[in-house]
Amino acid sequence: MLPYLLQRLLLLLPTLIGVTCISFAITHLAPGDPAELRAGGGLGGAGAEGLSSKNRGDLDRALAAWRAQYGLDQSLPAQYWRWLRNLGTLEFGNSFKDNQPVWRKIAERLPITIQLNAVSIVMIYLVAIPLGVYSATHPYSVSDQATTFTAFLLFALPSFWIGTLAIVFLCGGDFLDLFPPGGMTSVGYSSTWPFWQRLWDRAWHLCLPVLVMSYGGFAGLSRFMRSSMLENIRQDYVQTARAKGLSEHLVIYKHVLRNSLIPIVTIMASILPGLISGSVIIETIFSIPGVGLLAYEAVLARDYPIIMAVFTISSLLTLVSILISDTLLTLVDPRITFSGRSA
Amino acid sequence: MPSSASYWRRVWRHFKRNTLAVIGLWIALALILVALLADVLANDTPYYMVYQGTRYFPLLQSGLDSLGLVTLPPELRHVDFTQLPAERAIFPPVPYRPNRINLLVPFAEPSAVHWLGTDKLGRDVMAGVIHGARISLSIGFVAVGIAVGIGLTLGALAGYFGGWVDLGISRLFELMLAIPTFFLLITIAATLRPNIFYTMIVIGFTSWVGIARFARNEFLKVRNLDYVTAAVALGTPTWRIVVRHILPNALAPVLVSVVLGIASAILTESGLSFLGIGVPADLVTWGSLLNEARSNSFAWWLAVFPGAAIFLAVVAYYLVGEGLRDALDPRLQ
Amino acid sequence: MRVETLAQAGRKPWLALGLLLLCVSFLPAHAAEVPVTGDWLVSHMLSDPEQLNPLTSNDGGSASILNYIFENLLDHHPQTLELRPQLATARPQISDDKLTYTFTLRRDAHFQDGKPLTGQDVLFSVKAIKNPWVNAPFLRVYYQSLVQAELVDDYTLRLVAKEPYFLNETVLSQVPVLPRHYYDPDGSMDSLSVTELAALRPGDAAAEASPQGTQARKFAEQFNTNFSRNPMGSGPYKFHSWQTGQAVVLQRDPHYWGIGKEGIDQPYIDQRTMRVFNNPDAALVALKAGELDTMPLMPIQHLKQTSGARFDKQFAKHQFFTPSYSYIGWNNAHPLFSDMRVRQAMTYLTNRQQMVKTLLFELGEVVNGPIYLFRPEYDKTLVPYPYDPQKALQLLGEAGWKDTDGDGILDKMIDGQKVPFRFEIKFNSGNEIRKSVALTLQDELKKHGVDANVRQLDWTIYLDDVRNHKFEAVILGWGMPAIEPDEYQVWHSSQAENKGSNHVSYKNTRADALLEEYRRTFDAQKRVELYREFQQILHQEQPYTFLFIQKAILAVDRRFQNVKLYPQRPRPLEWWVPKAQQRYHEVSQ
Repeated sequence: MLPYLLQRLLLLLPTLIGVTCISFAITHLAPGDPAELRAGGGLGGAGAEGLSSKNRGDLDRALAAWRAQYGLDQSLPAQYWRWLRNLGTLEFGNSFKDNQPVWRKIAERLPITIQLNAVSIVMIYLVAIPLGVYSATHPYSVSDQATTFTAFLLFALPSFWIGTLAIVFLCGGDFLDLFPPGGMTSVGYSSTWPFWQRLWDRAWHLCLPVLVMSYGGFAGLSRFMRSSMLENIRQDYVQTARAKGLSEHLVIYKHVLRNSLIPIVTIMASILPGLISGSVIIETIFSIPGVGLLAYEAVLARDYPIIMAVFTISSLLTLVSILISDTLLTLVDPRITFSGRSA
Repeated sequence: MPSSASYWRRVWRHFKRNTLAVIGLWIALALILVALLADVLANDTPYYMVYQGTRYFPLLQSGLDSLGLVTLPPELRHVDFTQLPAERAIFPPVPYRPNRINLLVPFAEPSAVHWLGTDKLGRDVMAGVIHGARISLSIGFVAVGIAVGIGLTLGALAGYFGGWVDLGISRLFELMLAIPTFFLLITIAATLRPNIFYTMIVIGFTSWVGIARFARNEFLKVRNLDYVTAAVALGTPTWRIVVRHILPNALAPVLVSVVLGIASAILTESGLSFLGIGVPADLVTWGSLLNEARSNSFAWWLAVFPGAAIFLAVVAYYLVGEGLRDALDPRLQ
Repeated sequence: MRVETLAQAGRKPWLALGLLLLCVSFLPAHAAEVPVTGDWLVSHMLSDPEQLNPLTSNDGGSASILNYIFENLLDHHPQTLELRPQLATARPQISDDKLTYTFTLRRDAHFQDGKPLTGQDVLFSVKAIKNPWVNAPFLRVYYQSLVQAELVDDYTLRLVAKEPYFLNETVLSQVPVLPRHYYDPDGSMDSLSVTELAALRPGDAAAEASPQGTQARKFAEQFNTNFSRNPMGSGPYKFHSWQTGQAVVLQRDPHYWGIGKEGIDQPYIDQRTMRVFNNPDAALVALKAGELDTMPLMPIQHLKQTSGARFDKQFAKHQFFTPSYSYIGWNNAHPLFSDMRVRQAMTYLTNRQQMVKTLLFELGEVVNGPIYLFRPEYDKTLVPYPYDPQKALQLLGEAGWKDTDGDGILDKMIDGQKVPFRFEIKFNSGNEIRKSVALTLQDELKKHGVDANVRQLDWTIYLDDVRNHKFEAVILGWGMPAIEPDEYQVWHSSQAENKGSNHVSYKNTRADALLEEYRRTFDAQKRVELYREFQQILHQEQPYTFLFIQKAILAVDRRFQNVKLYPQRPRPLEWWVPKAQQRYHEVSQ
């Protein structure tokens, strides 16, 4: 077990470098010059602005100096090597937009995104697993089919649409006024408020975003849980347990459930990376200043330092979570071994 | 060893017993039919027309013309057939093309003239939903087809051979998972001319990993079982072992992924339309209609009908997938 | 004016008494008409400003915030658009050769930290702009013509321009005045002169190593990095806080030097909070819930979502034009569009009136040229091109386009090759109106044998393509200030090279001459005549198909008084709330 773990950890590094290499290539090869964009986001107004083409020469020089400052005039491999070296010292560079250190901009927003995503994931699990278990224990019943139908309905409705509807109907305006229409804090928010008041304010603001983010996941996970449990219920050992006289309750909730949770673990690997980038749409709709939105705007503005930093962090999280879920899987399912063909 | 014919017949019999799955199958087939026949169902070119004494079959003729088989007579070109005072004209049930713009009737409510209303440029929504079916289903099938092709192959290889093969391919999985596909999509859409084919390929290329991991797990589980060892001992060639013995067992979770994949490809397309990438701007899709509905919430018909279409498609394929899985599960026989 | 009448009146006492009585009778009858301080104005931003460094920030969002914090030597009267003194005592003395501008500063102005504002600060601000390593390339180019600046004494500044240009006074007086002690604590720029800075070239190793270069770079490095979130100026509002992605808060400076001074705008609102809502639908909901006090409305929101008694009771809606216009730009250098008749045909095929009706919901007007509708220079005699497909086809035929091979698409022999009339209309993502215009045009063209494709591009790439002339047709817009126009950058033939603003490569010798002469003309009436002729040329040649000018709609909570509409835009600076209706009573801590 341990040598395997060590091997995997060592392999993490080259994989990460491979990912960053590809990401770097993609972002830098995409058309669009951050210097031009930075220097004049608009195409200039048609007014008294003195940008005649005589002055273009000076502008070009200034842009060239700006590019040199950020090392954009070097060849791609050289730039990548420089970025990698800086990464070694955890130096992510400065954002093109406002020259602020990248790590600070991300650190500002990371807790918010993690809060949003973590609560959503917990929400999904809290709802989907009992739902799946219920469906498995009462297969093809009316309530099973009704819950299946509702879960599918929720799955099939795009979140950007539901989010907007939620805001229009539930956040004041012409209809109900149950939740705030966006943001993380109320207008009169002050850091001098007592802790519980701040907590309540934050929770109230996160209610709708979390709901909108998680409803889509109910269907998938609950069906998965259901099929996993059904598969296990039909196994021989269940019959054995029943024959031994164990109560149905004990059979289902102790033995079957535990075994059914195994494949759920494999899902974890795909959820963790979503912690960073999965919430762009929700963040836009609910005006939540998270990392997803930061990365999206950075892609549009070709703000390379931020893009690379976010990609690297999210890739690292993905790789780590894959490792964790694979390890857990070996520990838990003795049928799966990792050495050659001999058992 | 049961022969394939009776095996699939048994699967079909089992499948038939699941009413929900059968309903799903009918809906899925109906959607495919609509997608295939979109040009015939919703078009502003009539099937049959008598004009100034001559008989024409304009729809057929322009169809053949676009295939290059015949040349359209000049009097049929650039004609608005709906304005033509023909003696006799038989139009398709929905006499509009999805991108026919009519600035005089924006945001029309559903009526006898426009059964499902119009959007902000006066384009008929019913035509949009019908043609949108073709786009969404194509994206779903092709993208998933690519994903299954790559995923199944790589997963099987990794799971069956283990060792270094597995190590290498697993790293490839990690690489693909770690690359931020969302931003990749944006960048690619920005670089290439937007085209649904590129979108299909990109979605396919970025979503094969889930299928591959499932396949790999199944192969890992199964290859050490007795009957496989027996087959090896008997000298059965590897490909036969894989295809005949392991694959049917491994198929079940893969099938579920496939169907979920179709559903999520359809949803991804609508998400991409929302961001305005990947799909040409003049193409009307379910996603683009939903996007319009977002900022124009008074036009409920823009949201309800495409939304219902997406829902139907997603549910239908899911039910079929579930039914298939139940039917294929050997333990359920 | 008034001063003279009173002096005359002083010589005739009974006239004076009469005037006095007259004045008294005009005094406000109730105290409610006297503006009072207090309350907040909570407004809406679609996204965070880029940064709040007054020189290096580039987006409109930052500019509107920084306008409350910093001031200039002169500013524009909001209604007449004439220059009037702000930090200077009067308009500058201008030398006869129109090259030297001498400004005299007020002595009572000071910054928000109490330190006095002198000529040293103005000179420093000019130097900061001219410093080539400060990240403000576009702003610097604006001041390209400024070659020398020096202090005659602590309160007198002399600026010298390179060439005569009727807008020199406007440009030079718009320098934002930064406090030297705050933005250059080490005094790195003290020893440098504007002339020296103008001569430095970044990227030139010798320049960078020279003592001037080293000093300049030292200043620029700290200036570019340390000041993006903490602006401090002399204006009526102080920067309070900026919660990333959520809100920017400004608070009224009770010690503002301009309080009670004549000719200076008085601030009344105690706090200005600008809240971020990335989603316009959410913003509208916030407005209705009372979490926002004012917000620009989109046409659909205006028409369908904000009518009804309840909304009306709380908010007033104001409609106004902003100086801007949308257009379809034809690549005049491309073989398809180099013929004037083809471009005219395209305009005849664009049903602009219907577009204003359907796409803009009547909230706009068709325009026929690049000048702001309400300026005296705008030529009202131009007859707009109607929607006339027959005329268009006739013109296309004259230009040599016929369907010779029967495939339904017009074609023509160009350079010995048969070329079909096929092209691509490009526009940027995020703008629904431009997309609708493109789709409508495409549909219309198809009916007449022209095969147009549409292509939506993300902004960075679009920018690239437009600047490098990689297009056949683009849909774009220009925004401009409401003051005197200068169309040189957009239409002069020299601006078609080097990524200049003449994206469509329009070249016309007579137009060039008119544009050049206009810049040197200091007589307003003569300028109007020159531009009349210029617009007539453009009208004939149709290098753009001019589309329309849009109306903006602003919803404002009714408790705000003095909400007036000006040629450029409304001025929230002037708004105030009567004591009884104030909603917020304390400022944020």
